[in-house]
Amino acid sequence: MTIFILNDAAGIGSNDLDPLQAFVDLVIIANDDGIGLDDPVAGMQRVTYAPTLAGVPQTRLDALVNTVFTPDYGSGPQTVDVIVIAGLSGFTLDDGTSFANNGTALAPASSGLPGAPLNTTESCLVIYDTQQNICVARAGTDGDIDLPISNPVVLYHEFSHAFRIVNNNLLALTSECDPASPEENAAIVEENDLRTQIANRQSVTPELRDPNIHCGQVGCDSGCCIIATLASRSLSSREVQGLRAVRDHFVRSTEIGHDFFERFFRDYYSFSPQVCTLLAGERRLAEPLLEGFVQPLLIFWDLMIERSRGEMTPLDLGRAFVARHADRIGAEGRLAALHLVSRYWQAEGPGDDEAPAELLGLLRERAWPREHIQWALIVPVRIYARALAVYLAGGDAETIGRELAGGLEPWAAEFPISDLWARLSGEQAARELDMCRRVLLRSEDVEQRFLRRLAERYGDITAIRALLRGTPSQPGARP
Amino acid sequence: MSDENVRPDSIEASIRSIERKEDDLVVVVRLSNTASRALHYICDVRATRYDPETKTLTVAMSDEGRQVIPGAMSKLPEIRYVDPNGEAEFRVRVPEKMVKLSRSAPPGELAFETHRLSEAESLVVEVGWSDVPYYKDTRERAATKEARLPAARWEQHKARTRTRMPPGEKG
Repeated sequence: MTIFILNDAAGIGSNDLDPLQAFVDLVIIANDDGIGLDDPVAGMQRVTYAPTLAGVPQTRLDALVNTVFTPDYGSGPQTVDVIVIAGLSGFTLDDGTSFANNGTALAPASSGLPGAPLNTTESCLVIYDTQQNICVARAGTDGDIDLPISNPVVLYHEFSHAFRIVNNNLLALTSECDPASPEENAAIVEENDLRTQIANRQSVTPELRDPNIHCGQVGCDSGCCIIATLASRSLSSREVQGLRAVRDHFVRSTEIGHDFFERFFRDYYSFSPQVCTLLAGERRLAEPLLEGFVQPLLIFWDLMIERSRGEMTPLDLGRAFVARHADRIGAEGRLAALHLVSRYWQAEGPGDDEAPAELLGLLRERAWPREHIQWALIVPVRIYARALAVYLAGGDAETIGRELAGGLEPWAAEFPISDLWARLSGEQAARELDMCRRVLLRSEDVEQRFLRRLAERYGDITAIRALLRGTPSQPGARP
Repeated sequence: MSDENVRPDSIEASIRSIERKEDDLVVVVRLSNTASRALHYICDVRATRYDPETKTLTVAMSDEGRQVIPGAMSKLPEIRYVDPNGEAEFRVRVPEKMVKLSRSAPPGELAFETHRLSEAESLVVEVGWSDVPYYKDTRERAATKEARLPAARWEQHKARTRTRMPPGEKG
């Protein structure tokens, strides 16, 4: 295969491209005197490379430049070249996608690979914006998108795709960016090879990209928990990150969890934007909201995540609660905030100086009556408040744990029954019930209460009837 | 999506102004929400299309129709919301020039075609929206066979508006 850099073409002028930057980027990748360019022919310059240095990027570049690849995409072997199109201002694909602040590798038109329909040639086109200001997810963080990506690294990333395109072994490419698809994961792993080598050349610690996250943004500085953001005054506060983690990793990993979240989300966003608008004019409410609602919710769900990972006795539960309340004075302030905020949720009278009528009316009409809001937000905070009161009254860990367990059991059994249960096959329903057991239905009694509710609602559905009849020897039954 | 008066036309879009700044066209889009719940919309340009036959430039705040291809990164859309019975306004910048791979060149030849805003006679603005913010699908089976981009799956409806390009903006 041969790599060319495009420096002129019909329909555009040479001033529209940035071939010099492309060559500079190649030089940085190679870090080697052996990289060169032939004279232009028909608007393109062929890259030459005689490596003198060893290294992963050098080996890859050598293979790309000096190997003739003849992939067979189904119509017989064909020689495929790579053409680098750098910095083409205003470049847009047929589907409307602009290549400002991005890069791509388009497979040959007849290959049938992703991107091929957008390519008008039988070459692999590597296109990237040399004025890009891309920011990507940093490795070793919780997906923080604050890592810049340099032009050589963008080019090398696209070369990774190109290498698999011309070998006709492109990995699976999916529409999601988190988690990254296998193809993008591989390209990022290889991108990190270059990052590491460049850092080593400069005697600095490599800053690597998270290979599991392909999402990015323009500029380094996202779906948020809206009330938590407002109360904590930051999209990246610990509270928002915590609730986001609960949302993304605990609630939505299964069909029933996803369905629950969809319904909860729809209910939540029927009032939360207006709550935030109202709170923006009532800044004094932000602190009580943070202490009396967001923090308790975060701790509650944090405890639930810990509880879902293994058996916890009431003593274990109590100890976990105490460990999260080392600051007793802070805990007393929180209990006061809890009492205040509980009035907002449960207020029946008109507004007062502390909470405007409009806010109370909104919560009363849109939040309080909704099953998913009650289960996910209001009841958990109430359970937490009772445990906190026991703690502050001098209760020991065992007593606190029993208080918590006493609240968790009926709450868990009341997990909203979704109509999705009526659409699951027997096997799917059994799998979902197993998930519910692991995460919520932690005792025989709680499970039976939940199953009674499921039977009342969908006992006439064959798959549910089979699930309810499950014996210890069959899937769906508690071992 | 049957509560709080949410209908396919709950968001109405209009173009408040079009202005040339440097080499770009700056379009101010106004959205009106006639539903009684907040509605969420994409406010950044996701696709730009030009039809030389009808001389129509379409600026889409929507991922519908975009293909899944390899790339340096996948940029998620910027989502904002408009209050119930409220309005929102945002600006989008459209580059003055659009360059595409030419399909009228001889087979196998790499050629391009350039279109300038000055050629366009009509401007269409499309805004994808939904009654919830965008969130990713974390189910285990989620992504493998889905050909649409996530924001295209999220989108419930599209608000659309069209206007003639002002005379002074043409070549």
